[in-house]
Amino acid sequence: MLTTFLSLTTATLASTADGEPGFWFKTWLGEPTRSPVAGHSDSAFMYIWWFCVVWFIFLMGLMFYFVIAFRRKPGKIAPRSRDHNSKLEIFWTIVPTLMLVHIFWIGFEGYMEKVTPPGNAMELKLTGYKWSWDMEYPGGVVVNRGTSAGKVATDAAETVPIFYIPADTPIRLRMNSTDVMHAFWIPNFRIKSDLIPNRYTGLWFQASLPASGPTIKYHLKSKAEENLKADPNSTFSEALAGEPYEDHWIFCAEYCGTGHSEMAGIIRVVSAGTYKKWLADQANPSTLSPAERGARIYKARCISCHSVDGSSGTGPTWKNMYGYPFAHTDGTSHVNDDQHIAEAIRYPNKHIRADYPAGGMSAFPESLLSNKQVEYVIEYMKTLSDKAPATTPEETQKPAEPAGAATPAEKK
Amino acid sequence: MGSAAHNHDHGHGHGSYLTPKGGFMTTVFDWATTVDHKKIGVMYLFAILFMFFLGGLAAIAVRVELLEPVRVAADGVITGQLFAPADQKAVGPGNEIYNRLFTLHGAIMVFMVIVPSIPASLGNFFLPLMLGAKDVAFPRLNLLSWYIYVIGSIFAVSSIILGGVDTGWTFYTPYSTTTGNEFGRVIFMVMGAFILGFSSILTGLNFIVTVHKLRAPGMGWFDMPLFVWAVYSSAIIQVLATPVIGITLLLLTFERVFNVGIFDPKLGGDPVLFQHFFWFYSHPVVYVMILPGMGIISDVLSVHSQKKIFGYRAIAYSSLGIAAVSFIVWGHHMFTSMSEVAGVVFSGLTFLVAIPTAVKVFNWISTLYKGSIALTTPMLYGLIFLFLFSIGGLTGLPLGTLSTDLHLHDSYFVVAHFHYVMMGGTIMALLAGMHHWWPKMFGRMYNEFWAKVGAITVFVGFNLTFFTQFFLGTQGMPRRYASYIDEFQIYHQISTLGSLILFLGFVIHFFVFVASLASGRKAEQNPWGGLTMEWEAASPPTEHNFDHEPLCKHGPYDYDTTVPPGWDPKDYPIPAENLKAAKEAH
Repeated sequence: MLTTFLSLTTATLASTADGEPGFWFKTWLGEPTRSPVAGHSDSAFMYIWWFCVVWFIFLMGLMFYFVIAFRRKPGKIAPRSRDHNSKLEIFWTIVPTLMLVHIFWIGFEGYMEKVTPPGNAMELKLTGYKWSWDMEYPGGVVVNRGTSAGKVATDAAETVPIFYIPADTPIRLRMNSTDVMHAFWIPNFRIKSDLIPNRYTGLWFQASLPASGPTIKYHLKSKAEENLKADPNSTFSEALAGEPYEDHWIFCAEYCGTGHSEMAGIIRVVSAGTYKKWLADQANPSTLSPAERGARIYKARCISCHSVDGSSGTGPTWKNMYGYPFAHTDGTSHVNDDQHIAEAIRYPNKHIRADYPAGGMSAFPESLLSNKQVEYVIEYMKTLSDKAPATTPEETQKPAEPAGAATPAEKK
Repeated sequence: MGSAAHNHDHGHGHGSYLTPKGGFMTTVFDWATTVDHKKIGVMYLFAILFMFFLGGLAAIAVRVELLEPVRVAADGVITGQLFAPADQKAVGPGNEIYNRLFTLHGAIMVFMVIVPSIPASLGNFFLPLMLGAKDVAFPRLNLLSWYIYVIGSIFAVSSIILGGVDTGWTFYTPYSTTTGNEFGRVIFMVMGAFILGFSSILTGLNFIVTVHKLRAPGMGWFDMPLFVWAVYSSAIIQVLATPVIGITLLLLTFERVFNVGIFDPKLGGDPVLFQHFFWFYSHPVVYVMILPGMGIISDVLSVHSQKKIFGYRAIAYSSLGIAAVSFIVWGHHMFTSMSEVAGVVFSGLTFLVAIPTAVKVFNWISTLYKGSIALTTPMLYGLIFLFLFSIGGLTGLPLGTLSTDLHLHDSYFVVAHFHYVMMGGTIMALLAGMHHWWPKMFGRMYNEFWAKVGAITVFVGFNLTFFTQFFLGTQGMPRRYASYIDEFQIYHQISTLGSLILFLGFVIHFFVFVASLASGRKAEQNPWGGLTMEWEAASPPTEHNFDHEPLCKHGPYDYDTTVPPGWDPKDYPIPAENLKAAKEAH
């Protein structure tokens, strides 16, 4: 009997997963997921939902019926009735127990699917830090909000990274955090795992594209759509022209401090062919100048503390910083030349600027920024200063590079 | 033993415990040095209600902040941040204030309100009365617990004056060991929680000994009211689990002050170890929060329907069962940071704890069957408890189920679930208990009409506030976010509207209670017709509780054998011949 029951409910689960989602499914979970392994847990959720609805209506129905039927009437006392019934009590202990075992089993099945990646899954390396994500693709291409960024809304405070993912390919993430705990959550794929500083954790998913033609379909609603259509920070908009793609949010789900609620990201699912073109372009961004690359690094790593428009943040602005002298708390004063800025990035507490508190900046060792990347950042700083050494006439005349031009507008 | 200090002295024992001992200063001194469990219970009640008000203000601030998502316009103007500094250049400072507010709300509500709420206030007042005792076993220890509670609260609240703490009430490492340059604040908050733990342990110890040693003659274990059973079960958890959080918080302090690597990976520690330690305490303590509430509901449902509780032993044993199982389910808070095998084991164990809880709900509803149900305010709160707690319990299922929890973990679904259990459970039970025992505690009735208006306002506000958050959670809203994507805004607006209605409900209750104290009608000795022993004491009780040595003559819920046909509770006491017959039947 039990096996019949189990197979029956499993069949119900399967059929709800295939059919058009009903009202309650849409109310709870929105659009059906594009991730095949998430279908099982959606069915499980809806199964538990109806289980809860039936029990709740049954219990509350009894309660309201009793309250009305046995309301106090003046002069009447309650008749004697049983104060226990062993058979009934054993019955209502065993039946819920069996039902709970069944729900546990459904959850266990779905869980095994969700945590067991197929052997042929493509591995990507995800690093979380306060307050964004870096994804390392095969071949060493690192994508973050400096290299490919969108925004949560047109008027959102921060940019978020966009990670391109090939459709219908199992993806396995190897995840790690460089500071505190974070959690990587893709709500549309119903999957989440913590990022822990002293160990690697994992997660896998697979996403399909809608079967429709070459129209661009967005999973994201509201203002994010218009923004992503324009996508001013993406270097790869042209390759997407006419290609179908679909976006899904990434949120940090483990509280990690000030920027926790801005620690979002976007998974952009594209066709396998588009993905290949995109990856090749990322691997060889030969068209970018050093300053443009510096601007990308700035947006990924520096923007939360340093502005480029002259306003003061947690740290000093980069506008007119290069080439100017500043006083330090130890009484010295240095002109911000290449040497001094490189030192300040590697060892920020060696000399502390008199107008900013000590310990405000964490050090960026080579593991976080390579020597080459430090050079790019300094090149970018030069474009922001009127004391930069002139290399070509054009460069001094247009201090803001294409990527930098968008920055003052979105700056907080 | 402290109670020996109270020699049976009729000369002093006859006045109400509330009668002032002399002038204002004398009375204040008398209350500040009292070892009377009733006065300590009342002092706890007011201290806890004050902290509830503070924590509630923080919650309202959080809700109002979430009315709008944070936006930055093209000209750099930031909107949607309620508490940001005037000259803000970035969203960071506003976020930090938000983070401090929700930490404050969580820490106050958990450590200073819900954990001590029912046992320390109503438990202190009524546990000895229900057992027919003069006081708890260690009255001076009881007073010490109250002072420790106040000192711990001052420690914790002073962290706000120093600038606030942004760790969340869970203090997860390594964030909590690295945040804030002025680390004194985190230390203050952690030490506050550490000190409060001692108050909890001492109160628990006191209650265990009281239940074992001070029951009235004739009262066996199964003659105790279910409220006493529930407080006893939660006292066991308090004594066994609280030392673990004490040690954990001490280790956290060591790590911050002396750089001993325990939880911070930079020093060679393990952050997941902290989660294990933390939840090894904090999960059992969930049942410290809810069990006494379940006890109140058992009593209230039985008294106000004048019906023997259904399945007395099942409810009593399920309290002990919950206490035991509560120690082996902590891992379900960590499904996303543990190994898969551990996840499966803890999911299975978690379903185990659902069973005794379900059994209790079945028993409560069966108690109503063929009762004589009066819709008084306590009964109304009893029904509200059943409604909200059932939702809270059932929504625990998708969280205990592994595959669905990977989606719902750390989302608003979790926030809604534990508010349904903690607030819809414990706080509603506290309100049921306060309305049930208010006439006994202060000797005054309250305005039933306005109390019911308050109860319905609270019910409506509560559901508006928290049911919307279930939808937010399944659709992808993570918890502890100062901002969110646009499509979530409508849910947040409904939720905030609900929280204001909820607040209004509590304001109504506040005025009902104040009016009762100021000019309430004098309460009868037994206004609801309860059969438990506290109703044999005067309203309010005399200083020594009982004028005579109370004897246990009947079971706590023996309405069918004790109460004569047509008897009105206001005609207390019960005729002697009925008591005799009841004793024989018992």
